[in-house]
Amino acid sequence: MDTRLKEHPILDEWGGENLSFWFEGKHLIGHAGDSIAAALIANGIDSFGQTEKGTPRGIFCAIGKCSACMVEVDGVPNVRACLTPLQEGMRVSSQAGKGKPIW
Amino acid sequence: MNDPQVVIIGGGITGTAIAYHLAKLGAKRVTVIEKDYLSSGSTGRCGGGIRQQWSSPYNVRLAMKSVEHFTRFREEMDMDIEYYQGGYLLLSFDEEEATQFEENVRMQREEGLKVEILSSKEVSQKYPYIRTEGLKMATFCKTDGHANPHKATFGYANAGKKLGVAIHTHTNAEQVDVQSGSVKGVHTTRGYFPADIVINAAGPWSKEVGQLAGIDLPTESYRHQIFVTEALDYFFPFMAISFSGNFYMRQAMHGQFIMGKGDADEVPGINRNVTYRFAKEMAIKMVKVFPFLENLRILRHWSGEYNMSPDAQPVIGESPQLKGYYYSVGYSGHGFMIAPAVAEGLAHIIMNGSSPFLDLAPLNTHRFRGKTQREKNVV
Amino acid sequence: MVNPQFFIVGAGPAGLCAGIAAAEQGVSVLIVDEGFMPGGQLPKQTHKFFGHKGFFASVRGFDIAHQLVERAEKAGVEIRLETSVAGIYEDCIALWDRKKDHVWESKPERILIATGASERFIPFENNLLVGIYGAGAVQTLMNQYGVLPGKDFLIVGSGNIGLIVGYQLVQAGARVKAIVDIASKIGGYEVHSRKIERLGIPILLNHTIVKAIGKQKVRGAVIAPVNDQWKPITSESRELFVDSICLAVGLQPSVELAAQSGSAIEYIPALGGYIPVRDPQMRTTIPTVFVAGDISSIEEASTAMMEGFIAGFQVAQDLTGTDMQAKMSNMRDELTALRRGPFSSKVREGLGHFGIHFPSGGYRTETQTETGPFDTMKALIECPQCIPCNPCETSCPTKAIEVGGNLNGIPWVNYEACTGCGICAMICPGLAIFMVQKKGDKAVIGIPYELLPLPEKEDVVFVQDRKGQVLGEATVIRVMKNEKEKTHLVFIEVPIEWADTVRSVQVPEQKKNDYICRCEEVTVEEIERAIDMGYTDYEELRRYLRIGMGPCGGRVCRAQTLQILSSKLEIPIAELEPGTFRAPSIPLPFRAIRRGETDE
Repeated sequence: MDTRLKEHPILDEWGGENLSFWFEGKHLIGHAGDSIAAALIANGIDSFGQTEKGTPRGIFCAIGKCSACMVEVDGVPNVRACLTPLQEGMRVSSQAGKGKPIW
Repeated sequence: MNDPQVVIIGGGITGTAIAYHLAKLGAKRVTVIEKDYLSSGSTGRCGGGIRQQWSSPYNVRLAMKSVEHFTRFREEMDMDIEYYQGGYLLLSFDEEEATQFEENVRMQREEGLKVEILSSKEVSQKYPYIRTEGLKMATFCKTDGHANPHKATFGYANAGKKLGVAIHTHTNAEQVDVQSGSVKGVHTTRGYFPADIVINAAGPWSKEVGQLAGIDLPTESYRHQIFVTEALDYFFPFMAISFSGNFYMRQAMHGQFIMGKGDADEVPGINRNVTYRFAKEMAIKMVKVFPFLENLRILRHWSGEYNMSPDAQPVIGESPQLKGYYYSVGYSGHGFMIAPAVAEGLAHIIMNGSSPFLDLAPLNTHRFRGKTQREKNVV
Repeated sequence: MVNPQFFIVGAGPAGLCAGIAAAEQGVSVLIVDEGFMPGGQLPKQTHKFFGHKGFFASVRGFDIAHQLVERAEKAGVEIRLETSVAGIYEDCIALWDRKKDHVWESKPERILIATGASERFIPFENNLLVGIYGAGAVQTLMNQYGVLPGKDFLIVGSGNIGLIVGYQLVQAGARVKAIVDIASKIGGYEVHSRKIERLGIPILLNHTIVKAIGKQKVRGAVIAPVNDQWKPITSESRELFVDSICLAVGLQPSVELAAQSGSAIEYIPALGGYIPVRDPQMRTTIPTVFVAGDISSIEEASTAMMEGFIAGFQVAQDLTGTDMQAKMSNMRDELTALRRGPFSSKVREGLGHFGIHFPSGGYRTETQTETGPFDTMKALIECPQCIPCNPCETSCPTKAIEVGGNLNGIPWVNYEACTGCGICAMICPGLAIFMVQKKGDKAVIGIPYELLPLPEKEDVVFVQDRKGQVLGEATVIRVMKNEKEKTHLVFIEVPIEWADTVRSVQVPEQKKNDYICRCEEVTVEEIERAIDMGYTDYEELRRYLRIGMGPCGGRVCRAQTLQILSSKLEIPIAELEPGTFRAPSIPLPFRAIRRGETDE
């Protein structure tokens, strides 16, 4: 499902070239200029993880203040998807509850 | 009374129209219960015709008042019900009937209706697609018309809801609670609804629903079949109907032809099956009068009920045995076209004690004790 | 170690203006921001700002952001993005560069905390479901990234943010089912609420959201009217089919860093919640720490910019010794002019607690009653409230409009000077100016239009009144396109009786053309809309939309329709009534029937 706007009465265009990234092992396309959250929502994924109690979680404030949108990026947990720009080749996974330690 | 608790049993044109008019007069506690979906009874199965050319002055007046409502419907109810005044052409194939028609026209004109009388020759000149073999004469009233009965029901329901009417579909009435000769409420599959007024608007099930209150209504339901063809470009503006010829047909705005006839062999009861015999009889009869139908195909064939009363006139009023129990049933095949006027009248009677434009008293059950005048203009 | 003289937290309008003010006096300035785009809340604002010409009035938010960043960079300000201030410690400021994952320490001479505010949250049943967003979030997604997170929205809150986001959702192609507000009057500017109402979107006052419906994500919402204790009257509640709920219930200042710096915080509800105590020059109780913008009072971008400038000028004076009194005084006059109006009464009251007084009044409060004549095209202004805004006055080439007193005044048109050029109508940030010409039994109305698709000359459109009720149809006789402003004027000719009521047009809906019923050409959208309207029975849908009433008899479309019903109502198909299957199962010709009877 594609939720990207194709035309707008005021704004001319968004984003740049296509970027490849992975979410939960699935290959997706985002645009340069997207935040990770925007790229996920543009691909129809609006649930990024689960709270500690198992409730699905998406974004709420989209400006980094509420911590609803935490995902794991390239193994690093607790990354705020709304404030982190999408980069080519990122591997994003949903974060269930607390991040897992890596060493 | 100014804010009675009303429970209406039946979600067809009658039930929803009465609910709307009650709410419009200020009743804030009106509930409609419908055992299936809205317009699932006679209303949703009928041909949609709206005719004022009746043989009794009473029916003519009710129909003329209803036409006023249909004309305002889109504006008042905010729903387009495809209402079109294309007229009704009444075709007579019988001498005796032709004489009666002329008398009817005299009476209709006295009531203020504009009706034309056409000779057989005039019919075939004006409407070359009608084969006039055997036709004696015809009458035409151009303010007669047709509309979409489902949308009309939805329209009343939605407008009523905006005024606070509660509508519960898929809800059966199981018993009417009676105490000391008055209604107290209705037991339903959705619980108990207390009521000062209960209205039986149950169409085909008017008798059974009457029994739930211990009331005997002299109504019987008979199956009537009807079918619709595929579409042709729109050209046939009126409803063509014949009592002596036993048929009716109209072309709906979307181009399809809707037609049906009466069947003297039907027995009372609810029967939703359809017979091939009907299709055969219609095919032969209709192609004879309307040759352009020869190449058309029947798309859908269904049946519905005429809830008949002994004199083919509706049974309306408050039960003399049960205070607060009203009925608006027995419409004998012309419920859709006079429902709006009756609904307004009945709502006035319930809320204000009397109706400003019409005396509905002659339609109550006491008339069956004496001699009744049967409405003849029925297919 | 990172040691600018002036460290600014937040690259929004307040921070950028403070940086510009100080850097233009030679101070070394570093602005850090958590996000990866500068401008704070500005880049996602697609509507035109109010205020006055010198302060970006009628410029769209994202353009203001560009201009400020350009000016800041030209003045030598360093802006570091994706950098969060982890804390203001006793010994230093710790800043975390999230891209390099490196923490820097900083000991600047002056600090400005311009961290803005964050969305409030309200409790209601199921309010954690995916699909419930802060209004700002929806704005960020659709305007900044061009992504629409849902299709059918309920907005909670009728302040300016709720009203503006509602309008922007429609511009982006979404549907807003309703805006609810627990208060008994609309919180935001009437020109914003009128834009919404003209589209036919209901604003339900004295209403609240009771619960969100759905398991994994929002599928609907229950709203109810409230009684005079503001408690929902659940017996009158009703369901709306929405897939997104937007909360626009207010902002609260982000004061954490100010508190850490040691500055005093007080609870002042009129200013938005916990507020750092500060003086007229925006200095807190800690002499080296300043605040500006929403953190010091929930207000507008224009006041944030002015306060930013004042803080910046004061810091420049502190650090360079240059006398900045004149510049500060100038800026304070701007703030004063803006804050004279009725919508600033809470801010004036709140600032009174700090002993800072702003006067009120001094502008015209009456609406113009004698308008016209309209025998040639003239402007008609429907701006009924005193809001700080005057681009109509400054843009008129013949000086025919004046707002009377200060910029909070109600604009009046001098009809002898008005030439009907339409510039004011295209400039007005509230879309509150219409062009009117009355000639005999017809009238021509020019409507400001910012939606897609833009009608073209000779198109037939629906015309609506101020409540969005469709009055009828009209032909478009002219379209004045304005590619720069993006506010176009659509001129329609209507009967003279409608001249005073037609205030909106609607292009007949473009069908998405995803059909379910081939015979009757019924689309998915029409079916879904009918279900939303309450036709939840397969038979009712059939009768209302004519699905399955064509020659295929439902063979093609029955299953799909039941599928849509099933998924919308969350009832398995097996539990739905599929309608009757009956003869004839193939269209049967009269001719063949007759032959069966007559031939042998």
